[in-house]
Amino acid sequence: MSDGQQKKTFVVTRFDPDRDEAPRKQSYEIPVQPDWKVLDALNFIKDEVDGTLSYRWSCRMAVCGSCGMMVNGEPRLTCKEALSQYGDTVDVGPLANFPVVRDLVIEADGFMEKLTSVKPWIIRAKERAVEEGPMRQSPAEHEEFKQFSLCINCMLCYSACPVVANEPEFLGPAAIAVGHRYSIDSRDEGAAERNEVFRGEGGVFSCSFANECSEVCPKNVDPAAAVNQAKFNAVIDWATGLVLPRGGDE
Amino acid sequence: MIEVSRHDIVIVGGGAAGLRAAVAATEIDPDVSIALVSKVYPMRSHTVSAEGGAAAVVREDDNFEMHAYDTVKGSDFLADQDVIRTFVEQAPGELTLLEHWGCPWSRNEDGTVATRAFGGMSTKRTWYAADKVGFHMLHTLFQHSLRFDNIVRYDEHFATRLLVDEGTVRGVAALDIRTGVVRVVLGRSLILATGGAGKIFPFTTNGSIKTGDGMSLAYRAGVALKDMEFVQYHPTGLPGTGILITEATRGEGGYLINAEGERFLTTRDYGVGSKAELGPRDMISRAIIQELEAGRGFSGPYGDYLHLDLRHLGEAKIVARLPMVREISKIYIGVDPVHEPIPIRPVVHYMMGGIDTDITAATSLPGLYAAGECASVSLNGANRLGSNSLTECLVFGAAAGRNALSFAKGSSEGSEDALRRQGEEEAARVAALRGKQKGGEKLSRIRGDLHKTMESGCGVYRVQETMDETARTVAQLKGRYADVALEDSSAVFNTELVAALEMGNMLDIAEVVANSAAARNESRGAHTRRDTPNRDDQNFLYHTLCYFDPAGPRLEKKGVTLGHWEPEERKY
Amino acid sequence: MSRNAHPDAMAPSKPGRTRTAPPQLPDQFPFGGRYLAYTLFDLTGILYLLLGFLVLCAVWSLGSGEAAWNGVLERNRSMLYVGFHAIALVGVIFVGIRFFGFFPKAQPPRIGPVKPPPKPVILAMLYALWIGVTAFLSIVLAGGIF
Repeated sequence: MSDGQQKKTFVVTRFDPDRDEAPRKQSYEIPVQPDWKVLDALNFIKDEVDGTLSYRWSCRMAVCGSCGMMVNGEPRLTCKEALSQYGDTVDVGPLANFPVVRDLVIEADGFMEKLTSVKPWIIRAKERAVEEGPMRQSPAEHEEFKQFSLCINCMLCYSACPVVANEPEFLGPAAIAVGHRYSIDSRDEGAAERNEVFRGEGGVFSCSFANECSEVCPKNVDPAAAVNQAKFNAVIDWATGLVLPRGGDE
Repeated sequence: MIEVSRHDIVIVGGGAAGLRAAVAATEIDPDVSIALVSKVYPMRSHTVSAEGGAAAVVREDDNFEMHAYDTVKGSDFLADQDVIRTFVEQAPGELTLLEHWGCPWSRNEDGTVATRAFGGMSTKRTWYAADKVGFHMLHTLFQHSLRFDNIVRYDEHFATRLLVDEGTVRGVAALDIRTGVVRVVLGRSLILATGGAGKIFPFTTNGSIKTGDGMSLAYRAGVALKDMEFVQYHPTGLPGTGILITEATRGEGGYLINAEGERFLTTRDYGVGSKAELGPRDMISRAIIQELEAGRGFSGPYGDYLHLDLRHLGEAKIVARLPMVREISKIYIGVDPVHEPIPIRPVVHYMMGGIDTDITAATSLPGLYAAGECASVSLNGANRLGSNSLTECLVFGAAAGRNALSFAKGSSEGSEDALRRQGEEEAARVAALRGKQKGGEKLSRIRGDLHKTMESGCGVYRVQETMDETARTVAQLKGRYADVALEDSSAVFNTELVAALEMGNMLDIAEVVANSAAARNESRGAHTRRDTPNRDDQNFLYHTLCYFDPAGPRLEKKGVTLGHWEPEERKY
Repeated sequence: MSRNAHPDAMAPSKPGRTRTAPPQLPDQFPFGGRYLAYTLFDLTGILYLLLGFLVLCAVWSLGSGEAAWNGVLERNRSMLYVGFHAIALVGVIFVGIRFFGFFPKAQPPRIGPVKPPPKPVILAMLYALWIGVTAFLSIVLAGGIF
């Protein structure tokens, strides 16, 4: 297949903590196929040119969320972006706003902590027994949270968010979207607990509604909507708490 | 000094089966310490790519008997019927649990869980969440698991060796990909849930991580791999990339069309009868290959293909039920299924075979359990029915978790010195491979040659000669692998080292697949031979067991548990 | 070219297990591509600050005698002052349109049993309110009511 008829130059960020003081750029000129995605080019470089290039990838169908990188300065899923939309030179770097572990690999543990902190699981006052069967949920109730349940945790939104860049405590778009998704699920009773988290430091009110998370989301989750709906709910919940003190509902 | 950590249960693999096992053990004993060792962050596991659904009896017009019989028949009578009985009975409870944990199952108007038709299933029994079922199940399970502090994650840790002492498995040596350090993770029992090995083939729906790691770990530790000759080709993958187009497209009413515009499954006799597009996968894949061989395919840059036509379903239904299919088709083949048919061809999808386990998910090695695609509990026999495998991950993942817990309670810790020594040996082996400069072989060449030989010898249609040839070629590749040279000597996040270790695993699995296939001189389920096109229950109604031997794989036979249904001609 | 983000951005609570390179800001931040509109939106804050300051000055002058107040009125006629207000007006309209554009999706699907109206209706209500209030204030300022 590789006739080498068309070539592109990839300017790739390299960083090896054992050898490099700081990240540097390395260029690779390689033959490309018209139907390639950006990831295909990286795989070609890895296989044929430079076995030391490191990056994450797996499903190559835009659902596992591994391969997010900055492509020409924009956060992108590299398995999803057609190479043909770019010119002769393509710049590939690690996701912005994340510490860089090596080359195109970023530190994801910070995100995992934020995700865990929003309690992304169904909370119920009394757990339902299996024997009681599935809960009922109307298609309309399902529709209310469906969009926010589509987050693949690819973290592109964190790379686009100007608040994430400047406020390390900020939970960030994806984590809040996932937490909010549970809070508005008709089967969940944990909104009050999550609202505590959302109102806390780095919570929903750190968001300045730049909306860039939603602009770059590869799955159209619209995390900006989730975060700002969560603000609304956090305020309502707080105000209700003033009128009806919490102790009352136990 | 090698770093050692100690837990009660070690789980290798963070997909549906591994996570379900972790939660199942925790449900019984909230204080049990569980190590969840995964070479990727758990939500990246390949469960995420499953699309169509998960089967369990829930409708009024359905029953366990029907689900069991469909599965037996789908398996071409090679499945163990006691396993199927357990499976179908536990399936509804498992999917209900996921519902309680927040899985966004699609719903009927009355709020009950919706079900759809699937290949080889006699009624609508496949639960679904649009066409992102694996994604939703995985994220639901993973997020649910986050609430338990006793589940200690070892993210991006690549298990490279089982540590066995006094005949009992006691833990794993695992490469911390981030630091490059091999550490020892000990437990009183261990569960493998590492998924399949589709990456031994060039054209597969599988992601890059599916390299048969757990299968190889068990195989090297002396546990048999069972029924590895049965490799499922999914009828509908995108040409070129091999990306999966779910069977739910046909469950929702899609047609397969040849280049003459003919809905060939209804006009020609491929044994699927009135089920047409909803026949089992092995039969549909064979039908497609026959159509292509008869010259009734379209030709394209990635070989011949047929059409999957969804246009008559209408935009509303496609958007509601099959949004991911539409998204994938647009991105990866430039086709909007609302307006154009999708080009498809059969693609390697699933290994029916795997680590030989019994109905309790236990292997022959004390303390070792396995579940999910990496295991072969003999639910799927010679051909798996679509939507049984996600449920299988839950049912037998849970069984593995529960049984590994009770084993852990009754077992000793083993000699830490001996285990530490094994860990140090393994660390030395991995260190020697990292950036290994001596040698003349390139990893990508070995992979390329492996792909070529697996496709030619172990495709949809097989013959003795090429299977033998493939077995020989894989043995040669193992020799070449010993001579591989690597470029990357860095400790931190060395993906070349990981790929080299994975290649070792893939060669093990490829060898087992080719040798198991070459020894089965009949056609059954997904193992279809041109030279012996019929099933032979007289001589081959048994499971193939394949054991590791330094001299080459050693094959044995194991009986099939029937009991309820005797083998009969498989016609739909 | 690229500049550092906050050194602790997206860092785990425990220090990473290997040395990492510091997080970088997106190349375009703050004035390029997708960030320009957001940055301008944020910068309008300076306009409000100035406006507020000017209003305070005016109120202060009320307490400092008629001459001071007349001075304020005099200043208000300068081209500089009118120009500033023109810019502020553009800023307010920009912020209004941007905020209104985002507002509908910030509505939760339900607050208790109450569901918000469809998004176009919310948008129409917002603009109607804006135009209404503006018209009312204009009439008041023109002496039409009091």
